[in-house]
Amino acid sequence: MTTNPGCTGQKRDVATLKAFCFSSALLFVPLMLAPQLVMGDEKVDFSRQIRPILSDKCFACHGPDDTHREGGFRLDEQESAFGEGDSGEFIIVPGNPEKSELMARLVHEDDDLRMPPESTNKSLKTEEIELIRRWIAEGAPWSQHWAFAVPQKRELPKVANASWPRNFIDHYILARLQKEQLSPTEPADKVTLIRRVTFDLTGLPPMVEEVDAFLADESPNAYEKVVDRLLNSPRFGEHMARFWLDAARYGDTHGLHLDNYREMWPYRDWVIRAFNKNKPFDEFIIEQMAGDLLENPTLDQQVASGFNRCNVSTNEGGSIREEVYVRNVVDRVVTNGTVFLGLTLECTRCHDHKYDPLTMKDFYSMFAFFNSIDGNPLDENRKDHAPIVRVPDEGMQEKLEQLARRIATLEKKLSGEWAEIDTLQREWEASIRTTENNLESISAALLGDWYTVGPFPDTQRYLINRKHGPEGQPIDLKQTFDNNGQKLTWKRRGDWVDGKPHADLSHEIAANFLYRTVTVDSPRKIKASFGSDDGIKIYLNDKEILKNDISRAVAPDQEKVDLDLKKGENHLLVKIANYGGVAGFYFSLATKGDSALNKAIAIANVEVGKRSPRQIQELRDYFRNQICDAQLLVDAKKSLEQSRKERADLDRTIPTTLVWKELKQPRKAFVLKRGEYNIKGEEVKRRTPLALPPMAPSLPRNRLGFAKWLVDPGHPLTARVAVNRFWLRVFGTGIVKTAEDFGSQGEPPSHPKLLDALALEFLENDWDTKALMKQLVMSSTYRQSSRLTEELWKKDPENRLLARGPRFRLDAEMLRDQALAVSGLLVNKIGGPGVKPPQPDGLWFAVGYSGSNTVRFRKDAGPDKVHRRTIYTFIKRTAPPPQMSIADAPSREFCSVRRERTNTPLLALMMLNDPQYVEAARALAERAMIAGGETVESRAAYIFRRCAMRKPTAEELDDLVVDYHEHLAAFTRNTDAAKKLVNIGEVSPTDNVNVNELAAWTMVGNLILNLDEVISKN
Amino acid sequence: MNPVEEHVLNTTRRHFFSQSASGLGAAALATLMSTDKTEAATGHRGLPGLPHFESKAKRAIYLFMAGGPSQLDTFDYKPQLKQHFNADLRKMESVTMGQRITTMTSGQKTLPIAPSKYKFQQHGKSGAWISELLPYHAKMSDDLAIIKTVNTEAINHDPAITYICTGHQLPGRASLGSWLSYGLGSANENLPSFVVMTPSWTGRKQAQALFNRLWGSGFLPSEHQGVSLRSSGDPVLFLSNPPGISSAMRRRMLDRLERFNQRTLDRFADPETKTRMEQYEMAFKMQSSVPELADFSGETKETFKSYGPDVNKPGTFAASCLLARRMAERGVQFVQIFHRGWDQHGNVGGDLPNQCRDIDQPCWALIQDLKQRGLLEDTLVVWGGEFGRTVYCQGTLTKENYGRDHHPRNFPVWMSGGGIKPGQIYGETDEFSYNVVENPVHINDLNATILNRLGIDHKRLTFKFQGLDMRLTGVLDHAPVEALFL
Repeated sequence: MTTNPGCTGQKRDVATLKAFCFSSALLFVPLMLAPQLVMGDEKVDFSRQIRPILSDKCFACHGPDDTHREGGFRLDEQESAFGEGDSGEFIIVPGNPEKSELMARLVHEDDDLRMPPESTNKSLKTEEIELIRRWIAEGAPWSQHWAFAVPQKRELPKVANASWPRNFIDHYILARLQKEQLSPTEPADKVTLIRRVTFDLTGLPPMVEEVDAFLADESPNAYEKVVDRLLNSPRFGEHMARFWLDAARYGDTHGLHLDNYREMWPYRDWVIRAFNKNKPFDEFIIEQMAGDLLENPTLDQQVASGFNRCNVSTNEGGSIREEVYVRNVVDRVVTNGTVFLGLTLECTRCHDHKYDPLTMKDFYSMFAFFNSIDGNPLDENRKDHAPIVRVPDEGMQEKLEQLARRIATLEKKLSGEWAEIDTLQREWEASIRTTENNLESISAALLGDWYTVGPFPDTQRYLINRKHGPEGQPIDLKQTFDNNGQKLTWKRRGDWVDGKPHADLSHEIAANFLYRTVTVDSPRKIKASFGSDDGIKIYLNDKEILKNDISRAVAPDQEKVDLDLKKGENHLLVKIANYGGVAGFYFSLATKGDSALNKAIAIANVEVGKRSPRQIQELRDYFRNQICDAQLLVDAKKSLEQSRKERADLDRTIPTTLVWKELKQPRKAFVLKRGEYNIKGEEVKRRTPLALPPMAPSLPRNRLGFAKWLVDPGHPLTARVAVNRFWLRVFGTGIVKTAEDFGSQGEPPSHPKLLDALALEFLENDWDTKALMKQLVMSSTYRQSSRLTEELWKKDPENRLLARGPRFRLDAEMLRDQALAVSGLLVNKIGGPGVKPPQPDGLWFAVGYSGSNTVRFRKDAGPDKVHRRTIYTFIKRTAPPPQMSIADAPSREFCSVRRERTNTPLLALMMLNDPQYVEAARALAERAMIAGGETVESRAAYIFRRCAMRKPTAEELDDLVVDYHEHLAAFTRNTDAAKKLVNIGEVSPTDNVNVNELAAWTMVGNLILNLDEVISKN
Repeated sequence: MNPVEEHVLNTTRRHFFSQSASGLGAAALATLMSTDKTEAATGHRGLPGLPHFESKAKRAIYLFMAGGPSQLDTFDYKPQLKQHFNADLRKMESVTMGQRITTMTSGQKTLPIAPSKYKFQQHGKSGAWISELLPYHAKMSDDLAIIKTVNTEAINHDPAITYICTGHQLPGRASLGSWLSYGLGSANENLPSFVVMTPSWTGRKQAQALFNRLWGSGFLPSEHQGVSLRSSGDPVLFLSNPPGISSAMRRRMLDRLERFNQRTLDRFADPETKTRMEQYEMAFKMQSSVPELADFSGETKETFKSYGPDVNKPGTFAASCLLARRMAERGVQFVQIFHRGWDQHGNVGGDLPNQCRDIDQPCWALIQDLKQRGLLEDTLVVWGGEFGRTVYCQGTLTKENYGRDHHPRNFPVWMSGGGIKPGQIYGETDEFSYNVVENPVHINDLNATILNRLGIDHKRLTFKFQGLDMRLTGVLDHAPVEALFL
């Protein structure tokens, strides 16, 4: 809703140009907006000036896409461009524009014959035609598209002012400035510089004490010391990670349809740790691309493979699996193309690329690397959409191991020999022994032991009707089941006696299974009685005989069924569906008398030495569970129960995260015609795009091979694309402005040789990210003042030439983090689940699906949650936090490698009125009243300095003082208003200070937090 | 200050003033002075060269029925279906023609045909058949152009609604309204150029989700994203001053802020500083213009009566329609109202009448209200959902109740006002309302038509992103439906 005069249709930093745009568009040709138009005595540069024109205006019909090629020639390849077209004319005759059909057609008088056709809206400007004419006249020198050629090591350009450059970056920048007859701006003052570099390396402002220390340090390497300190700060990783998370499209919900919670934050924390540990960037890529395929991958490496799981996913009712599968894979291919290759692969999903030498076959051959995940393409609306790993923290891991040991010991004790109890058992056996000794005759039906497996979590509505675990197949007690990375096995439960409700199943919303055999000597019907908490389903010999989808507490005789038993062994499988809280079951079999007791008597009658191990166990179980009430035994049982419960409780709290797990047998991949999921064409094998250097034969044809191909030193794109994005963070615009597109349609680099030098340096330093960042911020280029002059503004409004230091508005996260930091509210805790600081009510509800588990926003409580850095704010992708989206942060629904910076009234309103910002102002005010001295002047200066880092001028101080007094007068007249204002936020104000004064200082804080100087990096 | 700096500053100031005179200032001034607020539309006009040709509509209001209203029970009358009650459509391959169906009904044993239980009558000069569920629509049938043959490829909600709102089934593209804001700019600097409302509904409780991306700016600068006008809390996020802070105090604070920022401008000469100063001013103006917009106290009894009883309940569709009219008066370019609850997989008999009641009278009132004020002729009003519903029943079929699954091949949209020929029925479907037999209108054609009426050639409004000239209507050949034009 701001003024948008729109000088061009290009994506640009709208705000930067806005105020000047009307005239600048008319009066000047801003230098970098149209780099191909730079005039001079120099020869025309094909790569920078000509190819972009040919690409934009001509390639669509005379380019790589051979299904839409006109005239029988292509302008993206030299041979064809210098050859004959269908017409027999030579398209380009080097050195001779008059004989070149290209020129003839560009200037043809006949509208129908002039190229490009008017209907394409791609007409050439006169200057562009002139450039092409000059280029042909100069011999039409041709070169490969710059981005596909491997960076070359070159000598540093010579510069006249040899004292200015501090490192190689400066040579390139200064050489270009000289060419444009510009000179660098003077260095920024120390205060500006430390504020700038602290923001660029940590995303936070410096503390006043840090500024003072820097000012006091007169050693020649004072600045370098600051830089090193910042690179080693844990805040560095948090700051760097958030750019990566934009690219990785990380979010805390699935992003489509229900948009339920997705537990993925261990991946986010991995990224933070990786930057903090300065993990070499090639390893950083490899682990994210293929951590799961590394030999014996660590848990961390598996977590890293979540990069390719960050795509949005759906479980919308009615979805067609195959269609969703294709979408997921396409998203991965496109994201990998943008993030690592800087290429726009999306168009090659449906047709060959019109501008770059990329084909549909390339696309689907890359698709084949990413299509073989061992999991359901639909997310089942689960936070732990398989495949996942469990990521216990150290404390949890220790506790788990401890519990496992305790449980094993107790189980062994309870089922094994135990002198004290066994003595009691022998006494009891003697008391029940009878003279009869016919086992068969006593028992109407012989019941096997209970075995159990579970829990199998699922959405409540599907628990009974969907098949889980052992359902639908003959029971095999040796079988293991996978529950999202957790191995489930059948466990014997000798302690479950019949005729008593048991309520010790998992409390999870999940299905659990019970199984036992029932053996009879002849076919017969026996009445059985069941109870369940909650739903129940019973199978006899693999056939369903009862289903009740119900929510209840367990009690005897809730269900009565006739078991129609065949002679011999029958299989009884019971499914218990728990809809939350306690879960349990009840079972009894109607036989004459107590069959279990009868069986025990029968075994007791067998001579001790002649009992089978099974009989020994059965008798022991019966005695220990039904008869014995020795305190010793009761305590052990209680202790086991307690430990099991503890383990179950702990288990539920172990975070999970989505990872990659490869299918044993890769899925086949096909070219999908027109990109349609169901129209399969030719089958394709895994391979990388043909226009790029081939994969070494030694590399495996999987994601690991792909990753290693990416980081091969001979790869022309990966390092360039990476360094360009780091550059962009610091200087505001990439050397290649279109950071997402290094192809023909992207903007050529402003400093191609510098880009190459940075990429090569990065490789030579073994992909050392911190070293790269250090080079950027140590350069003289970076340290310039950002003061703008008329000449500079005319020649270079976007600051692409860097004759001045970077100046732009802080990003969404930095704005909020700054307010929390300078006010002393910020809680610096690394990692953990996403947090929900306050946002206006109803934002989720206004759009959310009624059944979604993120339909209602509930604010977190306590500074530990609401005053954390913004990188930890929970991102619901279909309704992202307004503090983020209002300030241009992406929604994380798709990959994004650069942000714009807009200035809107909505942003102003947020900065002025968002309770979080007002709370920060109040906290600032409190600090000023406590630590800012006694005078109004000293307090005003205190607040100003905490935010702007410099001391206010006399004029500024006057303004602040007047501001304070005016507000104070108003609040003194209306103390109620003051009270209302200061009571805002998570932390209550201190009551040791005068409320009117506090309110007045709060308004001064609110003013200062909104200063242009404070919300910009200067 | 050195002379160069001074010169820059003077230039800067000059620019500011000249811009004020041509843009912002004039708009604000006009708003203040003019009683006929439509005349205030003198704000900046977006991209140069736009509109591409004379625009028939200066603004648009899109009444979006999220979930997919049933065409068979509203605008697409199929009397012959009675004979086919409960017949299995799956056996009629000449009708289904390989249409893929969602996995919600693909597993059903049969696809039994469910004729509409509602009575239809012909109305107006156009003779439009309209169901008894929409009596007010019946009254205004001659104001509408009813298109029966809009179609899409998507068969599930998330992709379908994302497709029609942004031109692509997956997240990441710019929405219709953001394209308009980007291309045409704003006619009122004190209000957003693209406003979205998400009113309550009374039909099916379990309503389909909306997504911020439906009014997001995708790859366009985020200033073009739709602004939600909320019915509770601040109508626009963070609009209200903090508790205890009066407008006068805020004004004083902003004056001081301007002094500080002017000094920063003096120091760095960064034009962005200037822009920011303007944005803070605009924010302050919005603090009065938005509440004024939402304040119905100046509306007449007749107006309230025409929109129906719901209009007094904040957050209803009726109240949203009245707000939409007030925004049209104030030059808001594009208003989109997303009414949810149209996903009748079951209980057409129970839920659909409620859904229709929510919107029927307010739609009528909006059209009449705009007409009376002379605004309809240059305000384009569009009504429709993301797809239609199947002729066959999902779940249990009785004569009185039934459910319908998603159907992409034909669904109704109506348009009115702004350069649209009223009183026409466009396109025809087969006797099962399953296929288009005449004049198909793809959703991209529909969007091209909307852009056209606003003076935009959909092929020429492009934005370079990821090496492509992105446009709302995609890469395939689509065109505005000229037969609909006045």
